Amino acid sequence: MSLVIPALFIIIFTVAAAKKVNVFSSFCAGAGDGLKFTLSVLPVIAAVFMMCAIAQASGIADAATAALAPAMRALGIPEELAKLAIIKPFSGSGSLSLLTETVKEYGADSYISRCACTLYASSETVFYVYALYFAGGNKKGRALPLAAVAFSSALAAVLACLLCRVM
Amino acid sequence: MNVIFCAVFIAAAVLAAADPEAFLPALIDGAEQAAAACVSLFCIYALWMGLSRVAQDAGINDGAARALRPACFKIFATRNKQAAAAAAANLTCNMLGLGGAATPYGIAAMRAFERENNDFACGLLFVLNASSVQLIPSTVIALRASCGSAAAADIFLPALICTAACTFTAVAIYLAMYRLCHLSSRRCS
Repeated sequence: MSLVIPALFIIIFTVAAAKKVNVFSSFCAGAGDGLKFTLSVLPVIAAVFMMCAIAQASGIADAATAALAPAMRALGIPEELAKLAIIKPFSGSGSLSLLTETVKEYGADSYISRCACTLYASSETVFYVYALYFAGGNKKGRALPLAAVAFSSALAAVLACLLCRVM
Repeated sequence: MNVIFCAVFIAAAVLAAADPEAFLPALIDGAEQAAAACVSLFCIYALWMGLSRVAQDAGINDGAARALRPACFKIFATRNKQAAAAAAANLTCNMLGLGGAATPYGIAAMRAFERENNDFACGLLFVLNASSVQLIPSTVIALRASCGSAAAADIFLPALICTAACTFTAVAIYLAMYRLCHLSSRRCS
């Protein structure tokens, strides 16, 4: 797997050089486009990250966990996972540290950490992806895809527990 | 998004009455994380967009994406060649677990879809990326191995089933809801 990337470089650079492309200036032009793009998404990401930070610091995330815990328990999801399921869409680093804690506390092969790992692997930091993909465009019609993803993330939590119980 | 943003900020400001000192540092911390994320984003971009520009100038991209492009024309209901090629590259990189490489292609496809006013394709591409199609959960396997798991990679199968099922559900819901909204009225936004 790790050989793919060096191989890609060899193929692309050799073909480009053979076709008399100025590889250096092409590369720089591409990197320049990258810079322009990064600058264009920075404000959006800043706003979204502030929202995520404030949601965690003010205890909204904890309150939501507490409020949803009974419903989650009814679906067979342990409380530790409820927290992970709620933080994951907001913060990649936050959920990774939570996952590490869970795995260390309960042991790597326990039911809870297997569930947590499955859940972590099958969901994304939805709000970050949202900011990145929809940055710049301020059209309507963005709620629909977000709702579809929110529902499937909730499903991931239930399914992760079910699968780990069976397998 | 506007509604979520306002709701979270107002609720947080109300709750902050209990601990007003923590409010500002949390916001600044969020902005700092965003700046850090953008720096690492640029690093990934400089690499992949640089490389993909070289490939593009050499005419490699056209060849590589040609195989997947017919499928993408159909899936995303687009006639734009570049958009379909970028979307194809995005999906391929995602499935191989090259998340960093997938993002620039995804954004390029997104911009192209926006230019031709293809809201449907924009939404679908976001759904596919946000519900994460990943074949090998490498982070999780590494974490389990480092915590002394007997069989770190046995998470592979449940994770694969779970992520596949969720992606499938998300796409199905999106398609169904999109149809519903556009059949009844255009008010759903």
